[in-house]
Amino acid sequence: MKEYFQLQFKLLNRKIIDFGVPLILAYTLLPVLFTLVLNYLYSKTEFAIPILILSSISFIYKLSEPNRNDFLKTIFNNKNYKKIRIVENLIFSLPFSLFLLYKFELLYFLLLNVLAVCFSFLNFKASNNLIIPTPFNKKPFEFIIGFRKTFYIFPVAYILTYISISETNFNLGVFCMLLIGLVCLFYYSNLENEYFIWNFNQSPKHFLKEKVKTCAINFTILSSPILLTLSIYFHTQIDILALFFLLCITYQATVIFAKYTAFPNEISMSEGILIALSFMFPPILIIITPLFYLKSLKKLKTILL
Amino acid sequence: MIKIEGLSKFYGKNQILYSLNIEFEKGKTYGIVGENGAGKTTLFRCISGLENYQGKIFSDYKKLKNHLGLLLTEPYFLHKITGKEYIQLLANSRQIQLVSIEEKNIFDLPLNQYASNYSTGMKKKLALTAILLQENDVFILDEPFNGVDIQSNLIITDIIKELKRLNKTVLISSHIFSTLAETCDEIFLMKSGKIIKKVNHANFKKLEIDMKQFSIGNRINKLNLK
Repeated sequence: MKEYFQLQFKLLNRKIIDFGVPLILAYTLLPVLFTLVLNYLYSKTEFAIPILILSSISFIYKLSEPNRNDFLKTIFNNKNYKKIRIVENLIFSLPFSLFLLYKFELLYFLLLNVLAVCFSFLNFKASNNLIIPTPFNKKPFEFIIGFRKTFYIFPVAYILTYISISETNFNLGVFCMLLIGLVCLFYYSNLENEYFIWNFNQSPKHFLKEKVKTCAINFTILSSPILLTLSIYFHTQIDILALFFLLCITYQATVIFAKYTAFPNEISMSEGILIALSFMFPPILIIITPLFYLKSLKKLKTILL
Repeated sequence: MIKIEGLSKFYGKNQILYSLNIEFEKGKTYGIVGENGAGKTTLFRCISGLENYQGKIFSDYKKLKNHLGLLLTEPYFLHKITGKEYIQLLANSRQIQLVSIEEKNIFDLPLNQYASNYSTGMKKKLALTAILLQENDVFILDEPFNGVDIQSNLIITDIIKELKRLNKTVLISSHIFSTLAETCDEIFLMKSGKIIKKVNHANFKKLEIDMKQFSIGNRINKLNLK
């Protein structure tokens, strides 16, 4: 059991190094950043604790992945397997539970730890095989996979849009559209095997055009209930709405280009920093979007010949 | 036609393929046999353009890969994609319009289930169906019979014969000699990154005997099984 956790620690360190971050920096800066973000969240919204607990659970949930657990069961006996799963879940929830302790939210601290332990006994095999229908069958794959993983976000966004209308809160409505835009952005964070790119029989330019077009169309489909409703009820602010909509599509295109710039590796730290900077200062997109586009064309040429 | 001239492949300092010269004629079926690690898969990856290499590969096409259906030993599958969506994805990448995927499901696969949950044999059959529906002219089938049940084995053998009838070029690597003998026009024997023998249909029986003798020899006696 001890060797298992030592191995996990080694794997984590390798991932950090591969991402281009020195270990000392990662272990000092990350806890500080994490605390700052949570503190900010805590000061800004009354829903900070539910968000924090849900975030922690979403991390723990990933550890319940059936193949991973089946593998562990083949290596360890039942007693040690259960011990490992409990310890893993507690380690993953530790940063969040420490923060709750720091804020003297003792009841929630207890709740999170109980949930972490309970989740170690759950098996998500059945739900994992559930086929969720999507409207994107004709154009696999990013939106099909992404939609199946995040389908529950869309009703929430649509309900919030309804609230934005009833409360005459345009900003909340725009937030809902941005939320969907952000969710769609993450659909492009997963790397596909180069075989799926190799299969494409047209130029890199055409490949990227198809990716961006599919993303824009599908994002429009998912956000259309919000766009239409806000256009009707806040027609005087339709220009602002259109601006944010176009901004979402530009960010999506930028992330697609960044993904193929780094391919077959994941988006590197330098590209990640540039994208993060663009969120703080969107005009920078004028430079980085064409830059990523040109770099991704070059990279794709090697695969698409 | 695919013509390979002086093809060499290195992984770092490790040489995998040694200046190979091979010619594959259009409409013929070729078998590539050899031990594990002989370089069969690397050769296929070089022909497909998935690997950089030294030497030259010519073909009748401007870009061979756009007319090539590649069945990998272990096909890749995306998480949370059904069999039907996988076929659609591969068809889309070649701009092929598929009317009814279900009708073309000759292996009776559960197309509405996640492909990543399929068994090894089912994955192979799905990947083969997908590349067949891409309407390719050249096929590279790396271990197409691995993990596949006996009925499907017979279907795949007939598919290869049909591809030959349609004047397609097919390259197959397999450890099952009987199916190769049934489908191939020529068989290349690879060893340590080199082609050591090229055998035509008339001499397949002799090749099988030679291979048995070469591969097995007196190895089993060394075990001193009791």
